[in-house]
Amino acid sequence: MYTRLSSGKAIALSGALLLLAAASQAGDIKGKVSVQGIKSAEHIAVYVDAIPDKKFDPPAAKPVVDQTKMTFNPHVLVVQAGTTVEFLNNDPVGHNVYWPSISGNKKLAHNLGTWPKGEKKSFQFNDAGVAGLLCNVHPEMNAYIVVSPTPYFAVTDKNGNYEIKNVPAGKYTLKTWSEDGKVTTQAVEVGAGTVTADLTVKK
Amino acid sequence: MTVNRASTRLVPGCILLITLLLVLLVKVPSGQAIPAFSRKYGTSCTTCHNNYPELNDFGLAFKKNGFKFPKDDETFVKQDAVLLGSKAQKEAFPEAVYPGEIPGTIPIAFRYEGNLVYSGAQPGAVIANGGFVPRTDLFVPNTFTIISAGSFGPNFSFWIDDDISAGATGAGGGLGDGWLKYNDLGHIFHLPLNALNVRFGQFELDLPFTNARTPYLSGYDILGEGALAQGLPCGGGVVVCGTTNNPFILGTPQRGIEFGGYPNNGNFVWSVAVVDGTNSAYGLGSALTARNSKDVYLHTSYQFNLERDPESRHAIQAAGATGPHDHTSLRVGAFYYHGTNQQNSGGTLFPGIAGTIEDPFYRVGAEVRFKYRSKFELYGVALHSHDDNHLVDLEAGTVTKTNAVTSTGGFVVGNYWIFPWLIADMRYDFVNSPSDFVNGVSEARTRNRFSPGYQILVRANIKVVGEYQRHWGVPYQNAAGSTLFYRPNTFVTGIDYVF
Repeated sequence: MYTRLSSGKAIALSGALLLLAAASQAGDIKGKVSVQGIKSAEHIAVYVDAIPDKKFDPPAAKPVVDQTKMTFNPHVLVVQAGTTVEFLNNDPVGHNVYWPSISGNKKLAHNLGTWPKGEKKSFQFNDAGVAGLLCNVHPEMNAYIVVSPTPYFAVTDKNGNYEIKNVPAGKYTLKTWSEDGKVTTQAVEVGAGTVTADLTVKK
Repeated sequence: MTVNRASTRLVPGCILLITLLLVLLVKVPSGQAIPAFSRKYGTSCTTCHNNYPELNDFGLAFKKNGFKFPKDDETFVKQDAVLLGSKAQKEAFPEAVYPGEIPGTIPIAFRYEGNLVYSGAQPGAVIANGGFVPRTDLFVPNTFTIISAGSFGPNFSFWIDDDISAGATGAGGGLGDGWLKYNDLGHIFHLPLNALNVRFGQFELDLPFTNARTPYLSGYDILGEGALAQGLPCGGGVVVCGTTNNPFILGTPQRGIEFGGYPNNGNFVWSVAVVDGTNSAYGLGSALTARNSKDVYLHTSYQFNLERDPESRHAIQAAGATGPHDHTSLRVGAFYYHGTNQQNSGGTLFPGIAGTIEDPFYRVGAEVRFKYRSKFELYGVALHSHDDNHLVDLEAGTVTKTNAVTSTGGFVVGNYWIFPWLIADMRYDFVNSPSDFVNGVSEARTRNRFSPGYQILVRANIKVVGEYQRHWGVPYQNAAGSTLFYRPNTFVTGIDYVF
């Protein structure tokens, strides 16, 4: 028996097959970030920039930013837009968490207030950009949440190495964000296997 | 003359310009400030100070806990201490020295204060009498201070500050405080935490509001008030005089032993100190009279925590929608100082009068402080001074008790944090001293001083401070011999940094 497909269904099916094929060709992007005029190549966010006409469902996982010994941990957290981040106070002293803007947009400033040790507060980051986390009683405390428009991102280790796994085949723009350096962009083409993309971040 | 007028106009203009430039340097503080505790804990000055050296609620808790974090101190220390014996050595005591520790790095901090003074015009007669004061004076007073403080393990804390240079108001150079404190001695008697501590050495009394570490450019007038009988002192042809000539200053550090505590989360504060008295000459090498008697100081206060949230009331800082802040609170208290001023021990001060003349004196006062979060505070002190006084007749060789020398005064202070880095101050000092009035210190019995000011935290460890002092009227005589009055008003502004 044959089932006759309409032209619309056929197009949808062929699209799905293409996506499946692309997914099956997913590869990894890895490389090393070098720095010029910056103390360290650690804590640099590397992510695939927005893909035109492509939207991603927000992930269910809720990463945690911990406040312990009067430091935020991790120092740089990259999340996909739409991710809910939980903020845990692990200190016996009062903290608060706020960010005065997201990538300079002060309308996106937010203050989570204060909460006791052992408790969490959460916030969903829907807007791509960078939120600099601060505590208004301990000004030395600082961390960053980099909100990536795609789910393809990584943070460099202390040697500047990074690896982004399972990126569908295609041409993308790789972007960096670092605390002290300028944004670096680089075109990258992903196929099956691993593609290497070394980047340089300048102050 | 034209040139002089032009320069007269130019100087205040320059001062305003410099002040403006200093203000323009201001940015929101980035925070990496610093002295010994900042280095030890890797934290900013603002953790303990909203306007250094004034302490916020966390800073007070830190100080009361023997310069340690109120909870889990060890987890916050970024510079490990050097152990003077392992902890296990406690078991070997008394056959071994009880183990202690010293800071891993020398806990030294430095402070510099330099001010620019602009004085009001002096009448010609005042200048003619040798009282010339330049209209402007750059960076005088100019003070450099070394501060060392910390803890020696769980129970001992210490503090030393020494003005290397001389000249700041209330600081004539030399040692300020230098003490060792045993914290929480009361645990031996199963008392609540920090209910009983003992402090030895030289220290500013447990005053309601510190005079030595005030954020203002001038000390509180009433805490610098001495007592002098009205009329001329004996000698130089004067044969009848009052004996009260008490240089005792409540705001000056003293040598002694202090017991005190702050139970109930620091809401209740008490202290009892036995001290030499600032008017005792022994060991000071001054012309003051040495004496055997000791003075006693008592202070107690209670803070009513006005936070609505019960959890916040018991926390070190209150939780707020935009972050932790100081508790909204009302503190009331009282203090009392009793001492004796002894004179003529060697019989040389009042020739012909045998024996020591003793003038007991006391200071009694009350305090009140209202604080609204980390935004506004209003506080004040009222103090009454009473010095017994005797009338000495050098010719008759008699000493008879006469009217006491008294004064009453205080201060009211309001501070408002416009931003966390910009604080507006308003201070009113008053001293009512009939004997000072008769002795020609002031135009009226009550000396009033208004001091509006500002404090700008350029960084957490750098401040630009300013204060205009509207002085009380001071008498002087003109060429015709008439008594006139003028106000030696001043505007003082300068820099203050610590590292």
